[in-house]
Amino acid sequence: MSAGLLLNATICFAITISSFAFAWVLARSEDEHSEKSKPALWSLVVLWSLVGLTYLPTTVRMVAAYIGNPTLDFMMYNLAAIPFSFVSVPLVFFIMYVIVGDKRISAYTSLLFVFFGVSYLTFLYTKGVIGPEVSDFSSLFMINSDIAISIYLMGLFVIPTAMILGLLFLIFLQRMPKRLRYRTALPLVAISFVFDFMLTDMITLIDAMQLAARIFVLIGTVQAFLAYFPPLTLQEKLGIKRYSYELYESPEDIDDINGEDGEDIDV
Amino acid sequence: MSEEIDVKLEQEVAEFYQSLGIHQGPGDIQYRVILRVLGKNEGKITEFAEIRKYTDQFADKGSIGSKMKTVFQLEGLAEKVKRGGYVITDKGITASNFLKDSTAFYKKNKRMGEIIERMP
Repeated sequence: MSAGLLLNATICFAITISSFAFAWVLARSEDEHSEKSKPALWSLVVLWSLVGLTYLPTTVRMVAAYIGNPTLDFMMYNLAAIPFSFVSVPLVFFIMYVIVGDKRISAYTSLLFVFFGVSYLTFLYTKGVIGPEVSDFSSLFMINSDIAISIYLMGLFVIPTAMILGLLFLIFLQRMPKRLRYRTALPLVAISFVFDFMLTDMITLIDAMQLAARIFVLIGTVQAFLAYFPPLTLQEKLGIKRYSYELYESPEDIDDINGEDGEDIDV
Repeated sequence: MSEEIDVKLEQEVAEFYQSLGIHQGPGDIQYRVILRVLGKNEGKITEFAEIRKYTDQFADKGSIGSKMKTVFQLEGLAEKVKRGGYVITDKGITASNFLKDSTAFYKKNKRMGEIIERMP
């Protein structure tokens, strides 16, 4: 019954709201994107929706821990595990599609991660969890299956993280305009932040670490917002502002260009 | 060296460099193809007919002959060893290697451009 649990619940709620809002804003901006980028856009919408769907029951779980209701806590943990297990699916699709550009190959690869997700859930539900262990800041469950943890680490964590890092590396190796670098690298850093800390959040057995991981997930969501909708001051500071200008052509200039001697050309 | 010469790819690469405002050297399709043929025959005599086998698709005999004289022979990239027969020089090999790098840069840039295009 500590205020720390309420703080935890508030952070989870903030993640939920911002993830859903971001997914909605991305989905609404569909018309602004080209046909080629639409599959990647929709995979991002699904990804952020799954993040929101994971933290919605987690918010309720933290409130349940605060009011001392372990049954609701347990139910919400099991519910949150479902969207969480499939977070890597749209992520893998997104990265594969961006790199390879083939929808079919990306779909087949992400299907493999559906299999990982289902296996994780099967082991999680059949072997069960130990807990909840409610502390000042958090409510923790311990996964009672080593195989589930292995699938979780290898299938859901290591491979997608390596894929993100690979794509980031590819972008950093290439010389490109600052604006493009910002536009491509920051969403990936944000996704990596959210994804990695979500996994830390789910697996940790230390309450302070769970709270810290959730704060970082929230930071990652804000980062993703900034990646797609950078404020004007940030654009100016980073030198990525896109100026809207018209071609400059005045009658004086035309006279100068057509002048016979061309000595007093005003540039 | 027995590498294949893809005229269509060379045309694509030349157009890319032209779009960057580079109309000579890597942005010149005639220069590219002639140098590729000369580079392919390193250490051997390149017949003018062999060059024309590739260049006839986009240029006439006169302009290729003129290019051979005003660019390749004048700058010392190739030497005329007999009537209609040329040999690439060391300087020409350097130019040929630069051309290969320009193709690699184009491919890298194109691949990255496609990746960025797919990023929402």
